[in-house]
Amino acid sequence: MNMRTPVKDARGLGSAKDGVHHWWLQRVTAVALIPLVLWFAFSLAVHAGSGYEGMRAWVGSPFTAGAVILLVATAFYHAQLGLQVVLEDYVGNKALQVAGIVAVKFLAAVLALTGILAVLSIAFGG
Amino acid sequence: MPTDNRPLSPHLQIYRLPFIVVLSITHRIAGVANAVGSLLVVYWLVALASGPEAFATAQAVLGSIPGLIILFGFSLGLFYHFGNGIRHLFWDTGRGFELHTAHRSGQVVVAGAVVLTLLVWIVALATGGA
Amino acid sequence: MAEFKLPENSRVGQGETWPAPDDASNVRRFRVYRWKPDDGQNPRMDTFELDMDDCGPMVLDALIKIKNEVDPTLTFRRSCREGICGSCAMNIDGQNTLACTKACDEVDGDVRVYPLPHMPVVKDLVPDLTHFYAQYASIKPWIQTQTPTPPDRERLQSKEDRAELDGLYECILCACCTTSCPSYWWNGDRYLGPAVLLQAYRWIADSRDEATGERLDELEDPFKLFRCHTIMNCAQTCPKGLNPAKAIAEIKKLMVARR
Repeated sequence: MNMRTPVKDARGLGSAKDGVHHWWLQRVTAVALIPLVLWFAFSLAVHAGSGYEGMRAWVGSPFTAGAVILLVATAFYHAQLGLQVVLEDYVGNKALQVAGIVAVKFLAAVLALTGILAVLSIAFGG
Repeated sequence: MPTDNRPLSPHLQIYRLPFIVVLSITHRIAGVANAVGSLLVVYWLVALASGPEAFATAQAVLGSIPGLIILFGFSLGLFYHFGNGIRHLFWDTGRGFELHTAHRSGQVVVAGAVVLTLLVWIVALATGGA
Repeated sequence: MAEFKLPENSRVGQGETWPAPDDASNVRRFRVYRWKPDDGQNPRMDTFELDMDDCGPMVLDALIKIKNEVDPTLTFRRSCREGICGSCAMNIDGQNTLACTKACDEVDGDVRVYPLPHMPVVKDLVPDLTHFYAQYASIKPWIQTQTPTPPDRERLQSKEDRAELDGLYECILCACCTTSCPSYWWNGDRYLGPAVLLQAYRWIADSRDEATGERLDELEDPFKLFRCHTIMNCAQTCPKGLNPAKAIAEIKKLMVARR
């Protein structure tokens, strides 16, 4: 039988004194993604029919390569922040929740690096 | 008086979710879908870096009927999350919280997502892609 | 996993029907959630047919009529009958509101009445609000100062500063908003919810309070405050026309401003 007072349960372990950082970074990456996503979506559409050589030349050009790398890094960072919140919301089991969050961060890092290295190999490969 | 057999009152089962709340959960679903769709982008970049055969395969996969449908859905979800994200950024500055404003901005975001998606696809098809 | 489905003991079955008297002309059906703690049964929906020509206009009038004339065991909270005490908060026609200010004419078809969502049920339409009240107490809803009270007058506040409390002080703590929030449904054990956060902001925004920093420290937590994702069901449902979502946004702005 729970003999703790309701206020004891409500106060829990107290405030973590932390949380703004995650919220702020979610917003900063969102703002950065506004021009990056718009630019990438429309530029890709414009170059959609250029074929293998044309596409390599476009992606490998200095400005495009740089912007795509920024897009990949920012998008995956924004995504893992968002997925962390989703897991915190819906996964009640703390151990499972933390494992899920770590797995998501790891996956995001691996995928982001893969994308960046792909762009770099195109840019330097010629 | 025993309190441990108390039932939980119904929630999703009976709540009539308003338009702005449906938009909110759609924003989350679109976000998760975008995260999954980002794998497609990475796959395509790796294919482009791996040589003409790999790239041709990627183009064939993405250009197939199911591939195009997935790409279309992905772009729709992307632009919805994009527009609704901007709507969220306005809320974060404290603006737009009046109910009629939130309702109207929601309608604008949905319309904008459809418009941007169609625009991108028209551009892609017009320049000889897909 | 957050429980999207109701637990076994909470699934709602079909209950009794209480037909209208034979001479009734203007009949409406009220489908009301019922649960008794004593009979070990699951909750059920009872249907009451009422003659609206012989009934007051509000849903609370109908509930009182049912209790007086049809089934005296129907249990619900009520007091002021004018939308100021917050007792009769419940889910009517799928949205949380006060039964005493919800006109039956505003509802199409059968009037479905449920208790406030995702709450432990004490009996029929009465939810257990203990945790809600404890969360309210935990934000210390009183003035906190270092400066002692002036001996000869009250603590002064300009008209502009007093205006900052408009839209915050009018909250009647009915819990309609908090129990309409999906984030509170899934994480109500740790997330404070819109009503308590609105009141937290009421004290943060009060120019006479001197503990603003400490209040913000107490709220800066991934669960207490940051489970709010601006879903805005709270503002949509508030029967007093308040906007907890906006108040929460102001708290988040202060969190960033003080970095």
